[in-house]
Amino acid sequence: MLTRRAFLETTALAAASAAPPQSKPKRIAIIGTIYRLQSHAQHMGDRFLVGYPYGGVWRHPNVKVVSLYVDQKPEGDLSGARAREFGFEVYPTVAEALRCGGRELAVDAVLIIAEHGNYPRNEKGQILYPRYEFFQQTTQVFEKDGRSVPVYNDKHLSYSFEKAKAMVDTSRRLKFPMLAGSSIPVTWRLPSIELPLGCEIEDALMVGEGGSDPMDFHALEGLQCMVERRRGGETGVKAVQMLVGDAVWKAGEEGRYSKELLIAALSRSDTPLGLTEVDGRTQDLVGSGELPRLAKNPAAYFIEYRDGLKATMLMLNGALKDFNFAAKVKGLPLQSTQFLLTPDPNVTYSACLMHKAEQMFETGVAPYPVERTLLVSGMLESCLTSKLQSGARLETPHLQVVYKAPRESQFART
Amino acid sequence: MSDPVRPKLAGVVTTYFKYSHAQHIIDRFLDGYGWNGTHHHPPMDLVSLYVDQVGANDFSRERLKRHPEVKSCSTIADALTLGGSKLVVDGVVLVGEHGNYPRNEKGQTKYPRYEFFEQITKVFRESGKSVPVFNDKHLSWNWEWARKMYDTSREMGFAFMAGSSLPVTWRTPSVEMPLGSRISEALCVCYGGVDSYDFHGLETIQCMVERRRGGETGVRAIQAYRGDKFWKALQEGVWPRPLMEAALTRSHTLTPAREGFNHIMPADDDMRRLVKDPVAYRYEHADGLRSTMLLMHGLVKDFNFAAYVDGGREPWSTQMYLPMPDGRTTLANFFSPLVNNIEKMYLTGKPTYPVERTLLTTGLTAAGVESLYRGQTRIETPHLAITYQAPKESTFWRT
Repeated sequence: MLTRRAFLETTALAAASAAPPQSKPKRIAIIGTIYRLQSHAQHMGDRFLVGYPYGGVWRHPNVKVVSLYVDQKPEGDLSGARAREFGFEVYPTVAEALRCGGRELAVDAVLIIAEHGNYPRNEKGQILYPRYEFFQQTTQVFEKDGRSVPVYNDKHLSYSFEKAKAMVDTSRRLKFPMLAGSSIPVTWRLPSIELPLGCEIEDALMVGEGGSDPMDFHALEGLQCMVERRRGGETGVKAVQMLVGDAVWKAGEEGRYSKELLIAALSRSDTPLGLTEVDGRTQDLVGSGELPRLAKNPAAYFIEYRDGLKATMLMLNGALKDFNFAAKVKGLPLQSTQFLLTPDPNVTYSACLMHKAEQMFETGVAPYPVERTLLVSGMLESCLTSKLQSGARLETPHLQVVYKAPRESQFART
Repeated sequence: MSDPVRPKLAGVVTTYFKYSHAQHIIDRFLDGYGWNGTHHHPPMDLVSLYVDQVGANDFSRERLKRHPEVKSCSTIADALTLGGSKLVVDGVVLVGEHGNYPRNEKGQTKYPRYEFFEQITKVFRESGKSVPVFNDKHLSWNWEWARKMYDTSREMGFAFMAGSSLPVTWRTPSVEMPLGSRISEALCVCYGGVDSYDFHGLETIQCMVERRRGGETGVRAIQAYRGDKFWKALQEGVWPRPLMEAALTRSHTLTPAREGFNHIMPADDDMRRLVKDPVAYRYEHADGLRSTMLLMHGLVKDFNFAAYVDGGREPWSTQMYLPMPDGRTTLANFFSPLVNNIEKMYLTGKPTYPVERTLLTTGLTAAGVESLYRGQTRIETPHLAITYQAPKESTFWRT
């Protein structure tokens, strides 16, 4: 019988023998809010400790976690146990973690994972995770020590666009690569489709579920990673509007979003609720009229892009439990797919995401632009402001975020 | 009356409760399903339904009430003739999975697929006419009967499809074995029990390896390994460990081997602790290919395939992804591509993939069970000299 250690060694050897000779491992610091089982910091950070599946092998990244900072240590905290087992230190401040207790920056990359933990909400319902603060503390070290390294920031950059923008500006000024965002753009798709780069998108719709502002952020990134591939690339958002309740259905009747796209997106769902839960039956939620009965508190996020494209994201809590996209693309049949959020506890989608972070750590180049997440951070904040202002349409001149989608598809396909 | 160009189908099922196979399959004909970006209604009409066991948890009565166009029938012959003397339907959907049926001493549940099939073909004979038949899962628990079902379909010349959803569901990644590949070893790591999910694991392997150079040549011998013999075989390298590991990397449901971790590669001692009743079927195809189906219940809850292809040293692998309503989803949508394939048969009179695949996996399931029953001994399988060619077109879910 192989022991675990021997097993890990054999697989590591196998991986090493298959790969070109490895350079010195990249030393990384993990800066997290909490490190508890199934928290983002744990399931993402652990990928660099125990490896993760990628492309049909259990990959052991050429990365060494050398330090950890956690802002809170709730019941179930694993930070100390991980440090002991994997031979690194938990430091009391971000700066000390980055300097590994020494006088200057002592890591090659930083993983900031500020999701989960006990933080207050603002009047818009946004959880005030200290991503900006962690980032500021990180870049202060970069500035003082005269050296910058790649930074991965989990999920949106900040609940505030102003802060998010400052983060991206700092990364530009200090010239370090930065990657951020959700797992949704990089996970498996059912079917495994990508919109052709440079296509003409006539209409796009995303459906999802869950709370604000964790899950609406994911759904908006799903939408954005698809529409950014349109002709001319991303040019930014002109205005947004968020409606809730019956106004969502009324907007549908008025043609604010396409019924055909709604049917298409829902046709990709594996999780219709209501009668399916009762007796397992399939449902045409739109045709049967069940949708408004199930989604009692729907929300619609209307996005008007500067180049004229209009897209809609519907949060349909009570009607389904997955994330599905549909679009009308000139010259193509209706496009639709599900972003597969693989089950707990493995959440293999986080391995897809950490592979992107690893790629950036290795190459010094972000595999997709952080502007995507900057724009989505801003779209979300403005939508929530619109909600607070009873669904007013808000002009968003500050969201003139311009970028090009990566040529290469970035979602899980291999 | 329905449009005359719409085929009329009879449903012949064992039982109809929530998440039973009949519910999944027949519901898709009655209520449609998500397909190609719309809610698709099959262009055919289920006109009759025979349910062998109507229990307290039955939903067929609800379906019949909601779909009064479907005739409730108390016999199979009635379902096929709508109460007349001659066959009046254009196709038969036979779902003989689930329900209370006895088990034999080998642990096989004696689902009455053969008996139902016999009653169906009796009507065909008496009517002097045959129509396409789909048989869910394997043909029969009894090899002789399964063979007879196949032979009857050939003699009478009707289109016959059967099998599992595994060959036709999504794959992550969405890849197909290139037609004409050279495959030396193939393996599936999956879950469930003997005479049940073993069949799905065997179909997972078969839909891939049948695409190899020369096509399927049949299986000449099989040996099962269970419990301690399984662990010993693993240690001795009876099947290639790299293929098993590659398959495990494709899983989305690997049971964490250690407390406090959400996703970690298990060592042998972890697997031994997590998998209480491991089962392997290892078998040799006539052309030298060796295949291994591993039931590792407790370690994974999905179906993962790996093979050595075209002399490559790195395993080639994928997962046959089942959106499973075990808490993960509410719909078992892997039945959608299955129904979509059989719809095509009812429309064209031609199966989209050969029933010989399922004839072989039926025989392999029975032979695996037999090997277990005979103390995990090697069994020669001259009766499994089943040869066929894979369809050129891929039939798994990609759109």
